[in-house]
Amino acid sequence: MTKKIELLAPAGDIERLKVNLLYGADAVYIGGQSYSLRANATNFSIDEIKESCDFAHKLNKKVYLTLNIVFHNEDMDGVEEYIKDVVDAGIDAFIVSDPFIISHIKENYKNVEVHLSTQNGACNYKDVEYFKEEGIDRVVLARELSKEEIKEIIDKTEVDIEVFIHGAMCTCFSGRCALSNYVTNRDANRGGCAQVCRFAFKSEEEKDFTFATKDLNMANHIKEMMDIGIKSLKVEGRMRSLYYLATVIGTYRELIDRINDNTLTKEIMDTLEYRLSRVANREVSTHYFDHEADFNDQYYTGRQELSNQDYLGLITGYDKENSCIILVERNYFEPGDEVEIFTPNKEIYKYKIDKIYDENMNELEVARHPEEVLKLKFETELPKYSMIRLINKNTD
Amino acid sequence: MKVLIEPITLREKYDNVDGLILSLKDYSVQSGRYYTLEEIKTIKENNKELEIFINMNKNFFNKEIEALEKTLKEIDEINITGILFYDVSVLKIKKDLNIKTDLVWASTYMVNNYKTCNYYYNKGVEYALIGKEITLEEIKEIIANSKIKSMIEVVGLPSVAFSKRKLISNFYSDLNKKSKESIDVIEKVTGETYKVDENNLGTSFYLKKIMNGTVVIKDLFDANAKYIVMKEYGIEEATFYDLVTDTKKYIEGNCLDNNYLEKYKKLGDYTNFFFKKTIYKVKKND
Repeated sequence: MTKKIELLAPAGDIERLKVNLLYGADAVYIGGQSYSLRANATNFSIDEIKESCDFAHKLNKKVYLTLNIVFHNEDMDGVEEYIKDVVDAGIDAFIVSDPFIISHIKENYKNVEVHLSTQNGACNYKDVEYFKEEGIDRVVLARELSKEEIKEIIDKTEVDIEVFIHGAMCTCFSGRCALSNYVTNRDANRGGCAQVCRFAFKSEEEKDFTFATKDLNMANHIKEMMDIGIKSLKVEGRMRSLYYLATVIGTYRELIDRINDNTLTKEIMDTLEYRLSRVANREVSTHYFDHEADFNDQYYTGRQELSNQDYLGLITGYDKENSCIILVERNYFEPGDEVEIFTPNKEIYKYKIDKIYDENMNELEVARHPEEVLKLKFETELPKYSMIRLINKNTD
Repeated sequence: MKVLIEPITLREKYDNVDGLILSLKDYSVQSGRYYTLEEIKTIKENNKELEIFINMNKNFFNKEIEALEKTLKEIDEINITGILFYDVSVLKIKKDLNIKTDLVWASTYMVNNYKTCNYYYNKGVEYALIGKEITLEEIKEIIANSKIKSMIEVVGLPSVAFSKRKLISNFYSDLNKKSKESIDVIEKVTGETYKVDENNLGTSFYLKKIMNGTVVIKDLFDANAKYIVMKEYGIEEATFYDLVTDTKKYIEGNCLDNNYLEKYKKLGDYTNFFFKKTIYKVKKND
C-alpha cells in the first residue's frame, strides 16, 4: 500500500531553502556554520536557521540541521551550547552520526527529532535496532542497500527510514573514506571532502585508473519505495543551483503526487524523466537498489561533468505598466527560441521568445549577458522564483 | 604499554609481542591478510600467552546477521581477549546474546574524540582502536580523558578507504583484460603511490608508504597508552619482526634508548597525521 512519503531537499543557503519548499519539498536539510559535512556551502547562521524554520513552519513544512561531522576533541567544545541555540531557533530535527551527540540531544531535548546520518553506514536491521534503543527517530540508510534489504529493515524495526533518491554518489562507504585527507589534507569527515574519487590515477596499464560513480536517479522506482514503507526520499546536493533544485524537487513532487492520485501515465513519466535528464551533469544509475553496483555504474575516464544552457532566467518581478515579466538572465537566448516558464505553483507556460527588452524597455537583438536584467512581454504576473528553461532553440 | 601486531606471515610462534590482531575471513576488510576461524584457533593454541584480538570490522548486511550471531557465539567460547568492530550490529548482538568477550570500537576514521570513546565505554566497550588521521596531541587528550583502553596504530601502510564496489575488476573489464587482486596507482599531483586491493567483499585503498610512528612511541608510553599496534602488511618480514623485537625492548627500557630511534629511521620519515592537522574549514576559493 502506498503511504504518505516525505520529499527531503538540500539547501546550502536560505534562498535555496525557500525555492525547495516553494517547489514542493516537504522538508529541507541544511548545514550550520559548524559541524556540517559541506564546509564549502554557504551554510546558515543561527538567525538564518530561525528565519528558515519560521518560513518552513508557516508552510507546515520542516527544517533539519546536519550535525554529522566526525567530531574531534576540539569540535566538542561548544557543541552543546550550539545545539541549544539551534533548538531555540526552531529546528525540527538534527542529522547526526556521532552516538555521543545523539545521546546528548535525546537526553536534553524532547521536542526535537534525531536522525542517524548515512555517514554512520547503517546497513542492517541490527544497526537500526541498536539506534532505536538509543532513541533515534529516523535512520538514513547506507547507500549500498537493495530494495529487499531496505524492506526487511523497515519490517523488522519499524523505525522511520530515509534513503537517497537523486544526486551524486560516493564510491566508498560514507564515513569509510579518508582519500581526501591523504591526497589533499582536507578532512573528508569534517566537511572538507575534495572528491578524490573523481580524480584519475596513473596506472600500470595504458589507461588511467578511475573509479568515479555515475549519479543516482531513482525516478523509476519511487512507487516501489513508497510501497515498501520508506518514510523519506532525500535529494543530494546542498551546493546545487536554484534552477537544479527547482527542477529536481518540482519533478519529484509531481511524480509523487501523480503516484498518489493515480494520474501518472507513461507519457507524463517520459516528460518528467526528460526534465531530470536536462539538469543532470553526469550519467545516472540506480546503483544498489535493484542490482549489485557493477561495471556499468562508474566512469572509466576522467571527470565527466557536463552542463547545458537550458536555464535562461530567474523571474524576479513584474512590470505592470508594460505587461512584462522581469528576469535576470542566466544563459544566451534570442527571438524564436521556444521556452517553458515554470512556477512554484506547478504551472508551466509554453512561450516563444519574441521581443527582448532591457530594464529600460530598449529592445535587444539577443540576450547575451548573464546577470543582465531583462523584460519579456507576458500577460500574467508570476510568483517569485519562477524560471525560464529552453525547450527548442531557434534554428532559423 | 603492550605491543600488538597484525601479522601477514603465518608463524607457529609469535615472539616478543603481547598480542595479535587477526582479521577474520569474510568478517573483516581493509586488512593485509584474512584468517579462518580454524587458523585463528590454531594460532591461539600455539601462542597461549598472547592476547588475541579478532578483527570483524566490516559493514554487515541483513543476510549476514545470522552467521554473525553464530560466529560471535563460537568466538565467545574460545576465550580470546577482544573483537574489533566497525558496525554497531556487533555491539547489539553482544548485548542480545550475552556475549562475554570484550569489544574494541574500531570504526576506522571515526574514533577521534574522548567523549564518544566514553560513550562506548559506558556501553560496555572496553577498548578503542584510535583513528590514525588525528594528531598525537589529540590522541594523548583521548587517553587522558577516557577510561577506554586505547590502541594506537604506529607502524604500517595507512589504510585509506573501502568501497563495496569491485573497482579493480571493473577497471580490467573496461580494458578487456584479466583482472588482478592488487594494483598500484599513482596520484598525479602528489606523485604518491596507492595500493589498491580487491576481494569478494570490495576494494581497499592503502597509501603505499610506511607510517613510521616509532618516534611517537615514547610520547604514547608517557601518556599511558595501553597498546600500540604494528602492521606487517607492506613491510619486509625480517625488518618487521626485528622492529617488533626491538620495540618490545625499547618499551621495557622505558623508551630511553635513542639507538632504537636511529635504527628505525630506515623505515622513512613519514609520520602520517601525528604532527599534521587536516584542513577542516575550507574557504570558497581554496
